Amino acid sequence: MIALARSEFLKLRSTRTALVLFLVVLLLVIVPLALLLAFVPKEWLEQDGITSFLSTASTLVPLALLVFGILGMTGEYRHGTITYSYLVTPRRWQVMVMKLAVYAAVGMVMMLLAVGLVYATIGIGGLVRGVTIDASGGATAGDYARQIAVAGLITAFGVALGALVRLQAVTVAATLIWALIAEPLVAALKPAVGNWLPFQVFNQVTVSSVSQPGADSLATVSGLDRPQAFLVSLAYIAVVAVAAVFISLRRDVT
Amino acid sequence: MAVIEAEHLSKRFGKRVLAVDDVTFAIEPGTITGVLGPNGAGKTTTLRMILDLVRPTAGTVRILGSRYRELRAPAQRVGALLDSSGFHPGRTGRNALRVHATGAGIAGGRVDEVLELVELADAADRRVKGYSTGMKQRLALATALLGDPEVLILDEPANGLDPEGMRWLRTFLRGRAAEGRTVLVSSHVLAEVEQTVDDVLILSDGRLVAQGPISALTASAQPVVRVRSPRAQELEAALRQNGAGVNRLHDALAVRGPSAAQVGDLAHACGVPLHELLTEQPSLEDLFLQIAGTRRDDAATVTLGDAAPGPAADSSAGPAASDPPREDT
Repeated sequence: MIALARSEFLKLRSTRTALVLFLVVLLLVIVPLALLLAFVPKEWLEQDGITSFLSTASTLVPLALLVFGILGMTGEYRHGTITYSYLVTPRRWQVMVMKLAVYAAVGMVMMLLAVGLVYATIGIGGLVRGVTIDASGGATAGDYARQIAVAGLITAFGVALGALVRLQAVTVAATLIWALIAEPLVAALKPAVGNWLPFQVFNQVTVSSVSQPGADSLATVSGLDRPQAFLVSLAYIAVVAVAAVFISLRRDVT
Repeated sequence: MAVIEAEHLSKRFGKRVLAVDDVTFAIEPGTITGVLGPNGAGKTTTLRMILDLVRPTAGTVRILGSRYRELRAPAQRVGALLDSSGFHPGRTGRNALRVHATGAGIAGGRVDEVLELVELADAADRRVKGYSTGMKQRLALATALLGDPEVLILDEPANGLDPEGMRWLRTFLRGRAAEGRTVLVSSHVLAEVEQTVDDVLILSDGRLVAQGPISALTASAQPVVRVRSPRAQELEAALRQNGAGVNRLHDALAVRGPSAAQVGDLAHACGVPLHELLTEQPSLEDLFLQIAGTRRDDAATVTLGDAAPGPAADSSAGPAASDPPREDT
């Protein structure tokens, strides 16, 4: 399994996909934050402007990670590399489990990196503008830990979705439409149902941790508090991942 | 002990496509065996079932005594070339091999060795998307060789290779067999395979229609009489009237059935002059066309070698009693 993990990491290092992901994270986090720090009034910076921004960024970065996970798995089918992956490791569940684990780890590292970049940029921006800004936006260490864990889970979720559907463009388009349009619509029209849908649940663990800082015990709009939302997230990932592994075991590689 | 054993192997895709139909064979160690057949004959599906990439609908297949997925360190025992497009285009050739070597627990130094072996070392650090078809084929072969395996399974390895590459491949495969390794190679280019393999399995419409040593198969096949005449049309009509099978070549007729003497006598009786009359032992391609041509009427499998010769190309033979009617292909 160690050899398999090393092989998966090598797959990531030997193409530009991970590098592009890193640049996307930079783009989503650093560029708008730097513009915000450069041009908005000092008073606004010292109030809640940064917190609002962090809330938005913490939604966009997991979406980028979700697409990264989908590309990682569907790319194996698109380029036919899955054939050699299964020839080297014919026990397919090992291939799938290791890919889920490696992508989850990369997703967590990317989110950790995003949080670090936010802190660094705000620190530098604050110094330059001569203001004191609370970079955490009031979030606790527990909030960050959950945010990073969910980022990993979402990346693995992308891998599992990719294994189920296989078609790259279809999976990416359908997932983004579902996450950005369908679910928010359902959540707006039928909150009791919509807020239990997967990406709404993920959001309740991530966005709410920043927008409602340090409020672990507070219920969010859906009635799910953050620990509950985290558990539901885990359940979603588990169901989709098990389905992906099961289907991979039975599917013909032609 | 046979290196690869398939028993009553079948594969059905959906309800209508029967890709492989009740195929049974055994591959002996140290041989090069060609899996031959036209496109859609079931060659690739059979190879993929051996490698556990495709699940058989019925039957079993064992390689080195067990199912592929049950082998310990399979990439170091069985090397496979299945698809030269199975590489990420953004990865360099060297990294594509490193990914598989790392996963299989093969030392990194072996990557450079196989790159040298397939004469791809100079292009190793270029991205695969810049490779020609032949280069991708060599890279796929390098992947198969990474583990220095005792069994090689190659699906259409000559695709995209230039004549020099094909000659290199022939020499290479013969060298592997001389070392006691086993090679199973599929192709639809029969003339190419004829120069390389010891034994053949001929598939047609998913069924195994002939198997055995290539020399025995061609020797058992019906000889062909080649005849050239300035009045070929008249001669052809006369031959057909007498029940002979006739194929038109560009300047001659290929006649199956009567002997050269019988053809000569018939031409003499008709007053048709002959410019050439000779008996040819059919090539593998002729044999294949004979067998495939009779396949739809005659389902018997020809087995040669140790077994008694079967009715290889006898188009008059009726269907084998044990052969079930085909539902579809």
